[in-house]
Amino acid sequence: MLSKSQARAFFLGGTFLFSAVFVFLTVDTLRQTDSRTNAQNITEDVLKGKEIWEKNNCMGCHTLLGEGAYYAPDLTKVVERRGATWIDVFLDDPQAMFPGERKMVKYNFTKEEKGQVIAFLDWVGKIDANGWPPKPNIPIDSIATSPAPQVKTNAVAVSQPEKFSQLCVACHTVGGKGGNVGPALDHVGSKFDSDYLNRWLSDPQAIKPGTNMPKLPLTDPERKDIVTYLSALK
Amino acid sequence: MRFQSQKVAYWFFATCMLLLSLQIVYGFIMGFARIGLDGLHDYIPFNTARATHTNLLVVWLLTGFMGAAYYIIPEESDRELYSVKLAYIQLISWVVVGVIAIIGFHFNWWEGRKFLEIPRPLDYLVVVNVLTFLFNIAMTIWEAKKRSTTQLVLFFGLLCAALLYLPGMIYFDNQTIDSYFRWWVVHLWVEGVWELIMGGILSFLLIKLTGVDREVIEKWLYVVVGLTFLSGILGTGHHYYWIGTPKYWLMVGGIFSALEPLAFLGMAIWALNMYRKKGKNHPNKIALYWTLGSAMMSFIGAGFLGFAHTWPAVNQWTHGTLITAMHGHLAFWGAYAMLVLAVISYAMPNLTGRKLFTGMSGYLAFWASNIGMLGMTGALAVAGITQVYLERKLGMDFLVVQKEIIFHFIGMLLAATLFTVGITYFIVDFIRHGLPSNEALGKNVGDLD
Repeated sequence: MLSKSQARAFFLGGTFLFSAVFVFLTVDTLRQTDSRTNAQNITEDVLKGKEIWEKNNCMGCHTLLGEGAYYAPDLTKVVERRGATWIDVFLDDPQAMFPGERKMVKYNFTKEEKGQVIAFLDWVGKIDANGWPPKPNIPIDSIATSPAPQVKTNAVAVSQPEKFSQLCVACHTVGGKGGNVGPALDHVGSKFDSDYLNRWLSDPQAIKPGTNMPKLPLTDPERKDIVTYLSALK
Repeated sequence: MRFQSQKVAYWFFATCMLLLSLQIVYGFIMGFARIGLDGLHDYIPFNTARATHTNLLVVWLLTGFMGAAYYIIPEESDRELYSVKLAYIQLISWVVVGVIAIIGFHFNWWEGRKFLEIPRPLDYLVVVNVLTFLFNIAMTIWEAKKRSTTQLVLFFGLLCAALLYLPGMIYFDNQTIDSYFRWWVVHLWVEGVWELIMGGILSFLLIKLTGVDREVIEKWLYVVVGLTFLSGILGTGHHYYWIGTPKYWLMVGGIFSALEPLAFLGMAIWALNMYRKKGKNHPNKIALYWTLGSAMMSFIGAGFLGFAHTWPAVNQWTHGTLITAMHGHLAFWGAYAMLVLAVISYAMPNLTGRKLFTGMSGYLAFWASNIGMLGMTGALAVAGITQVYLERKLGMDFLVVQKEIIFHFIGMLLAATLFTVGITYFIVDFIRHGLPSNEALGKNVGDLD
């Protein structure tokens, strides 16, 4: 049977050995980190963004690289998923973009600060994280459900404006693709004329007080493009 | 109690009770926010509640460890504490730093790194404070006639915990490196040196409560803490899978994490075996419940539930989901919270001379809080598994999935209520014991050594 001094030797020896291996692996990890994380792309903006991220304890709700709290979505690939434009609008008033949903603090960032946060998140999204997060691997059609409703989309002559795919699809679907906060827009063109759509987009509250639809920052040509596109959805 | 200076431990324990109550309050705030009742959003947004909840946990456990050390070290060293005055100064400054930190969180003053949210200026104060504590303990041991393994393991654990706080204070520009060294603190604390502290405290309690020969208990203490470091140091790798570190961490972390339950299993077998070997019955059954309970629950929560999702092929799906919260709750409860409550249950009758352990309330506290915590863990487990499948495997939207699991959070809140009932019983008993009394000096209630 083990004696006390042997037990002590096991403890001290094991601790020393594995600490040494750990330190060695740490040195090697640090050596490789610059290339794995594209450290050359850590610009002034990225650093400022990281500061803002930490100063406001964003990790207290979100996760980044899967680390943090689990109250709000993981933001590792958010720039790829949502795009910079959407994040920029979202940060102005998070609750307007997800009405009636889980709340996020409104931080009143300046245009510059928002850019820095996005730069930071963009850099994080490009870290080589060994393939994390993984892509969903259970195909929806392998699950026995009633067949998905076939969405009839008419061939639209007008192509989807860039702003529409950056902002509107976060809440609305077209052809089965998009968010489910607002109604589907597949046939919106047959319900409303372009004048109404234009007024609606300019100021949703003025037409329907209390609506969940936020007033989006669109320039006149952008709004015109979207109205043309929506009118064609019949 | 044997020594006058052990009384200082009482005030540390009282602080524990206060901080634990506050931690529960913030837990409820988060639980209600999860089911859509977030009326406090404008005053205490989720990230504030979250930081407060976890930091209170760390602070109350550390306060408990300090109290335990102030109680145990004089007895193991067979002399009074080096300086009682220093101990009180240390406690007061510790509480002041804690209060400032918690208030600061409510005004967006923090360093947003999970578990290490305390702002940098306060970090320095924490360091000074802990050094004061260690100096006091070290001097007590230094001037003692007696050296015991328990005493040394406990001191070594506390010292390493202090040293490992330092890597968390270095600022790194690179998120990956930042994260890498944050785990030096967080992981190497809870799955490394804190287990040393746990082993030391458990060893002391087993010696007192079972009356088994010190040599036998302390031999196995070495084996258990040996297993802890053998698996736990490289087990840090399970935090390095997906944060931008080299791929070999998948293998290193996977293998050594798989060994981590061994340390906890060792802890549980050790405690139960020592209990089986006991010669006589110690009258303080409640302290024994908490002691053995801690050894077993730490195996389930930290060992088994940790094991259940540290394997890389599993972890790639569960990483960053409620599965982590599920494991976290039972792990901290079993390994550290229950242990601190064990020390308190053991020490209170000795400090005050009142034998409240004969009543029913101690058992009610034990069972209600344990069943409550298991219920919370179960609710989080179901929510977590659902989240993994809907969000990660099927690719459903985060917020849509969160709505699907609201029901489990109602279950969690109910279990939390039962847990709170248990803790309330514990705290009421604590208060009923009254203050430490000189009449209790020189004798311990029913010790078998």
